[in-house]
Amino acid sequence: MFKLIFIKELKEIIQSSRFTISFAVCSVLIIVSFFMGAQNYLASQAQYEATIQENKNQMAANSEWMMVQHTIMLPPQPLMALVNGISNDIGRNIEMSGRGELRPENTRFNDEPIFAIFRFMDLEFIFGVVLSLFAIIFAYDAINGEKVNGTLKLCFSNSVSRASFIGGKLAGSFIGLTVALLIPLLIGCAMLPLLGIHLNSDQWLRLGLILASGLAYFGLFLALAIGISAMTDRPSNSFLIGLVVWIFAVLIMPRASVLISGRMVEVPNVDQITAEKSRYRIQLFDEDRPKMADFSAPEGTEPQAVMQEFSKFMRELGDERNRKMEAFEERINEEYLNKRREQAKIALNLSRISPASVFTLASSQIAGTSLELQNRFMDSAKDYQKIYADFMNEKTGHTGSSGFRMIISTSDDDEEEEKTIDVNELPQFQYETASFTSSAANSILDLGLLMLFNLVFFGGAFAAFLKYDLR
Amino acid sequence: MDTMNETIKQAPLLEARNLTKVYEDGVKALDNLDLQVLPGEIYAMLGGNGAGKTTTINIFLDFIQPTSGQAFINGINANEEPLEAKTNIAFVSENVQLYPNFTAIQNVDFFVRLGGRHNYSRSDYETALNRVGLQSQAFDKKLKDFSKGMRQKCGIAIAILKDSPAILLDEPTSGLDPKAGKEFIRLIGELRDEGKGILMSTHDIFRAKEIANHVGILNNGILVAQKTQAELKGVNLETLYVEYMAGYMDEAEPSLVNNLSEA
Ligand SMILES: Nc1ncnc2c1ncn2[C@@H]1O[C@H](COP(=O)(O)OP(=O)(O)OP(=O)(O)O)[C@@H](O)[C@H]1O
Ligand SMILES: [Mg+2]
Repeated sequence: MFKLIFIKELKEIIQSSRFTISFAVCSVLIIVSFFMGAQNYLASQAQYEATIQENKNQMAANSEWMMVQHTIMLPPQPLMALVNGISNDIGRNIEMSGRGELRPENTRFNDEPIFAIFRFMDLEFIFGVVLSLFAIIFAYDAINGEKVNGTLKLCFSNSVSRASFIGGKLAGSFIGLTVALLIPLLIGCAMLPLLGIHLNSDQWLRLGLILASGLAYFGLFLALAIGISAMTDRPSNSFLIGLVVWIFAVLIMPRASVLISGRMVEVPNVDQITAEKSRYRIQLFDEDRPKMADFSAPEGTEPQAVMQEFSKFMRELGDERNRKMEAFEERINEEYLNKRREQAKIALNLSRISPASVFTLASSQIAGTSLELQNRFMDSAKDYQKIYADFMNEKTGHTGSSGFRMIISTSDDDEEEEKTIDVNELPQFQYETASFTSSAANSILDLGLLMLFNLVFFGGAFAAFLKYDLR
Repeated sequence: MDTMNETIKQAPLLEARNLTKVYEDGVKALDNLDLQVLPGEIYAMLGGNGAGKTTTINIFLDFIQPTSGQAFINGINANEEPLEAKTNIAFVSENVQLYPNFTAIQNVDFFVRLGGRHNYSRSDYETALNRVGLQSQAFDKKLKDFSKGMRQKCGIAIAILKDSPAILLDEPTSGLDPKAGKEFIRLIGELRDEGKGILMSTHDIFRAKEIANHVGILNNGILVAQKTQAELKGVNLETLYVEYMAGYMDEAEPSLVNNLSEA
């Protein structure tokens, strides 16, 4: 009985014009998304290489390591183009300096603001928004449509159990639709090498996992829609309810969670922090002012010696202030980051009520474009900063810092030949992506939640139908 | 056959015993209904709108539970062992609806298999569809283009192919043109002659008189009259029916007046 209903469901799906139209639309969107992802990646890769080369050329034009301005850049990755995550929103370039804060600059959206408005059509969007809506459109009348049609009554005038009917229906529509969606997805995957994108086995594994979780996400919306149709009498009602649930799950809840967590944890904004820092700087200076006024050289010292003594005194004061300032900045930055992390954590956990956020989190974690991307990039940059500082120290006796530098040229240099520097001596910046196992481990909660949602929705649809009024 | 019927008391294929149904909102749709349909018999249930005909059929199909009493199909309690009971029954509704995107043959194939018959070939389906009078060029057309009459024909073809001992028909000829209605009734007569037990609800008193072995008149859920074909000979069924309906109206009127005065 189950098999019969399962096969009927498959046939019914394939023969309906609703399927033909929505399948065509989805296939085009999926293939376009792969194509655009590939194009995006190639463009980013070209830009990346050009920027690195440009930076090298600029450095090579210098005669002194001290003059060098070194910019490191987050290397683009194919999966970033397929699941954007935050990769377009974070600064990709960091101007290196031997010490001090590193500031990532030049986001993708900064380059092309138009995309900031419309975003890209990546796989996360296709699954998260398009296919979930497709699931609702497809299945909103799965049960009550048959009731309105009258076919439900005719079916159950036979010796058919409710369990095998709803089981066949759920399995038939899930397998029918996911297999259908797999076709354009696999075409998309096969296109990647043809478009010049060669994934390694680790990246294929990730892509496979992303697609699997996408289909699981699609499945839960399908089960949700079937469940709603098994709790209502009329398709127009179930469509409305399905749409409202979809809007809440996909559009409202992820955003609301960020707003709510913003209320729950107060985090000062960057301007407040800057203001606080400069207040402290002034305070430190004010504290030093009486000491400066009290400066006096011992009686009868030479004026030149007095000057020397004074500048030494001032330097010591300044160094002391800098030390305090740095400690203060470090503390306040740390506090700020902690609060932001706490806020983000609350937001993420709250948003996990919605399957849409769960899928977003899972897919971006697997693709390496979750919030973690920024942390990893900054950590890599900080690690590199040490290497860079050591290198610069060795070359110049200074830790190369951007900002104000006084170059004192002594007269004996004049006789020497114009020196050039070999930029290849500079250690390369390496961005380490997380290993597959650590990405998978990080996404395990969200993958588990996706499974749980599936279980709940499929179970719910099943249970709802057992109580459904067949007349 | 006739002589056998007279000598051996056969077990009824369809039987309602003290069947009572009170809906959640308090409407008493059936009140102690007793009826029996023997093999080779057609039982016609007459009654106005809301008399309880569909309710009776829905109880046999286990779509609703009776408040009290039992319904049996081939001796099996329809509400206690519905899956077992339904292997013995075919159902044709007043408005047969099939899957609109399937062709007639695909629909027939699905529903006949659902009815537990797996060993038919396409030519068997064609024979059945021919028998019910569906033109052969419609066999592979999608159901969404079918008229009501064509759908009813498919419905009866499915019932024929299912070949169950008992058949339930809920106003199967309503909305059919006279010719189609007549053909339909002829088919039902044939099925009866094959030994099926048929319970049919209808508003069509003339057809009922013409074909039914028993006629029951339901009024407000109560079986107010039950006549055999022999008893109906020479009786004007229309007058009889109207008399019972008139009684119903008389009963209904006081409450109607009450309702109006309350409002
Ligand atoms: N689900 C329900 N809930 C409450 N009352 C109902 C329900 N279904 C039917 N009824 C009531 O039960 C009574 C009998 O209805 P039923 O459908 O059995 O009549 P019927 O004889 O088939 O009428 P018709 O000729 O119009 O098809 C009616 O008064 C009807 O309003
Ligand atoms: Mg009725």
